[in-house]
Amino acid sequence: MLKSFVLRHSSRSLLRPLSAKAGGYAPSTFLLVQKRGLASEAEEHDVVVIGGGPGGYVAAIKAAQEGLKTACVEKRGTLGGTCLNVGCIPSKSLLNNSHIYHQILHDVENRGIDVGDVKLNLTQMMKAKEQSVSGLTKGIEYLFKKNGVDYVKGTGTIAGEHEIEVNPLDGGEPQTLRARNIIIATGSEATPFPGLEIDEKRIVTSTGAIALTEVPEKMVVIGGGIIGLEMGSVWSRLGSEVTVVEYLGAIGGPGMDAEMAKTMQRILQKQGMKFKLNTKVMGGDVEPNNIKVNVESAEGGKSEAIDADVVLVAIGRRPYTANLGLENVGIEVDERGRIVIDQEYRTKIPHIRVIGDVTFGAMLAHKAEEEGIAAVEYIKKGYGHVNYGAIPSVMYTHPEAAWVGQTEQEVKAAGKAYSLGSFPFSANSRAKTNLDTEGMVKFITDKETDRILGIHIIGPNAGEMIAEGVLAMEYGASSEDIGRTSHEWAVLTLSKAHPTLSEAFKEAAMAAFSKPIHA
Amino acid sequence: MASPIHRLFSRLSPQLRQHALRRGLTTTARRNAASNFLMPALSPTMTEGTISSWKLKEGDTFSAGDVLLEIETDKAQMDVEAPDDGVLAKIMVKASAKAVQVGSRIAVLAEPGDDLAGLEVPPEKDSKSGSGTPASGENVDEENPRKDTGSPRREHGPSVVESSVRSAPDTAMTGKVYTHSPGVAHLIREHRISEGDASAITTTGPKGRLLKGDILAHLGRINKAHPRELEERIHKLQKLDLSNIKIAPPKKDVGESAKKATEKLDVDRERELKLEVSFGEVLKAQNKLQAALGIHLPLSTFISKATTRANHSLPPVASASDILDELLNLPSMASSRPAKFQPAITALPLPSPRSPTASADILDMLTGAASATTPAVKRTLGIAATGPNVISLTVKSAEEEERGRLFLEKLKSFLEKDPVGLVL
Repeated sequence: MLKSFVLRHSSRSLLRPLSAKAGGYAPSTFLLVQKRGLASEAEEHDVVVIGGGPGGYVAAIKAAQEGLKTACVEKRGTLGGTCLNVGCIPSKSLLNNSHIYHQILHDVENRGIDVGDVKLNLTQMMKAKEQSVSGLTKGIEYLFKKNGVDYVKGTGTIAGEHEIEVNPLDGGEPQTLRARNIIIATGSEATPFPGLEIDEKRIVTSTGAIALTEVPEKMVVIGGGIIGLEMGSVWSRLGSEVTVVEYLGAIGGPGMDAEMAKTMQRILQKQGMKFKLNTKVMGGDVEPNNIKVNVESAEGGKSEAIDADVVLVAIGRRPYTANLGLENVGIEVDERGRIVIDQEYRTKIPHIRVIGDVTFGAMLAHKAEEEGIAAVEYIKKGYGHVNYGAIPSVMYTHPEAAWVGQTEQEVKAAGKAYSLGSFPFSANSRAKTNLDTEGMVKFITDKETDRILGIHIIGPNAGEMIAEGVLAMEYGASSEDIGRTSHEWAVLTLSKAHPTLSEAFKEAAMAAFSKPIHA
Repeated sequence: MASPIHRLFSRLSPQLRQHALRRGLTTTARRNAASNFLMPALSPTMTEGTISSWKLKEGDTFSAGDVLLEIETDKAQMDVEAPDDGVLAKIMVKASAKAVQVGSRIAVLAEPGDDLAGLEVPPEKDSKSGSGTPASGENVDEENPRKDTGSPRREHGPSVVESSVRSAPDTAMTGKVYTHSPGVAHLIREHRISEGDASAITTTGPKGRLLKGDILAHLGRINKAHPRELEERIHKLQKLDLSNIKIAPPKKDVGESAKKATEKLDVDRERELKLEVSFGEVLKAQNKLQAALGIHLPLSTFISKATTRANHSLPPVASASDILDELLNLPSMASSRPAKFQPAITALPLPSPRSPTASADILDMLTGAASATTPAVKRTLGIAATGPNVISLTVKSAEEEERGRLFLEKLKSFLEKDPVGLVL
């Protein structure tokens, strides 16, 4: 043990001058080595989390709450990861405010409200978004302080089985953290589209799509999944002519129930979005004032060019492991770049665990959070649990779409008899009075036992409503249980879609028997 | 928008909130009983604080929102507002008392109009304070907690919530009561299944929970084995699917990826792909065009057109190399834009080498277009019109090899199958 430790140290010190020079500092190599040596001996953490996104920061807070000495390494400069900085949170701000704008422009007159000249102030709308984001990211920083998590700003690289080398953001000297346990939570990044160079101005990922400085006249969205439809909705409402190009035969991504996807497409089409399904993007020609997106029918043949001012590439996300140093300890990834783990999130080095987008499973913030907590519980108590059969998904279009459990096509493929039950919002009085009646709720149950297999909702507030569905699935409820609903059941801690108001519900439950994460 | 009360509300200890809520719900009922006012937690971390001053005297009435007292913590000094209208019946902890634990009783409040003289002062533990340890030694006038249940005053309107909270443990402690889900409870009642029989039914729900399907199986309404099978299927979905993991090909250092990658290229540089091709059809086409249109198209035209087309027909991304790029996190746009292939063509040594014009064309092509992308240009020996020629290609890496092969096959088929189509 000691031997390997010494060895590792000496070999690293050989490398140091090189990397230090690359950084442009370090007048004296000798001094640097000395200082580093001291740093590595001083810091010994029980847990070091690499990545401060929803998976990483929750894991770090939980670990600290469990009494473990914890550090969280984050290179963005703010906590919260993609979700808070450039993902779920800012997009929800834009979705909400663009909806209000659109409603005032097109809808309130029917409700008996005459408004004068309605004008969009995009700068202000973006400012409102930024305000929400900065408030929330600072909130996490506060939670770190409160729970005693060491927040290390820098790029973390696994240098050895127990060592993380951190290159500080502010350009200071690299420091080495020693850790008994390491949790990798480095997340994901947008998958680029071959042949279209992302500049985040005209050819954008979701990151650029939440920060456009003017409303594009024409927008092409490549990929009709949740991100594409949400961002497409925002700019469509603000006035863009949006065309969604999807390679598959349905929107919403593979997780969405086919019937719901069709309903959603119809609704969005009515709102003005255009769809090209079964269509493949061949490439794009970027001209000074226009981008030509060349598309072709997926079965081959017919090709055409679509004009766009902005092209949003939303074909998916891929695990992010750049500079993580996996190779230094021999941790494997699969062919899609996901870090290989077992059911307890362990890599083949048992004290290095991995959670969230950078490993297997759905790329969802709330899934990462659940895993963050479970991973810490494995470390602390040797037992953790995430029910992957009851993790909700939400798409924040208007109306929203939300679901949990299996889709009808999945149940059908399993070859077992099932029953369906659905109810349209057009027959619901609140929806009617709100003049907001698109969508429905759909239950899929096992034919014999009536046990719920999946719940799918399109409708106003579907994202909040799905929480009850998650609860039901967690309890193994039958649809009759829901029909005869009562308040006899105790509240357990369940996975809540992120971001929803029902997260507060969950946190309150956690507060009752343990500790809330966000308070 | 949130009123000060609301804001305060959300910051006060849960017990206090409960009190206020309870009161809010029973505004008409006068509960002539006082309630304890506990030391509130003004921040999530606060465990104790100092009471700097009371703003009211005993017996003073106050309205919701009035400042009752001032508390000092290590961080700040804050006002505590009243959650509801009331009367300050008794101050239990005097001003300037230090280190008062959160959740300990600091005062007794009464409803407006309550008769303070005859007021029952509730015991300190009244509000099921589980969190803060009640500071002892200050319960000067602690009265018997249970006696007041018999007092006539309580009949005026004892809070329902309160009484049920109190009585629940008494009855519930006797035996573990298992709460069935609504649907299950209904079936049990409907079919008059006794409690004993119900508890003997095999359960398949999460954590041994009795499900509707279990009862249906017990009643013989469905296949007995079905609930178990279903549970097993659902259980599988509850786990992260880690089956069929395909490990990525092992690769070295990401940190020094650039260096390693170039080394790799160096190693692979020598790789050359070859394919035999016949120019018989091309020559025929040349003659045909010469005869029909009076144009002589050099062989190089055919080859360059075929090259363009073959390049075009390749799949847009070299999937293997792209994955590698992803893993190495190389600037993916640059690398995934596939390089265009330029073939070199030589005659096999066996057949008779001829056709000097064509050979000149080939040289043109090689020096003009091809040299940029083909670092190792093969010496051209000339091409054979009828005999087999070899088209060759130098690829820079193993990843490119697959694409290169595909390219050569396409090129061959364009040149041999329909050369006329290439130029028309």
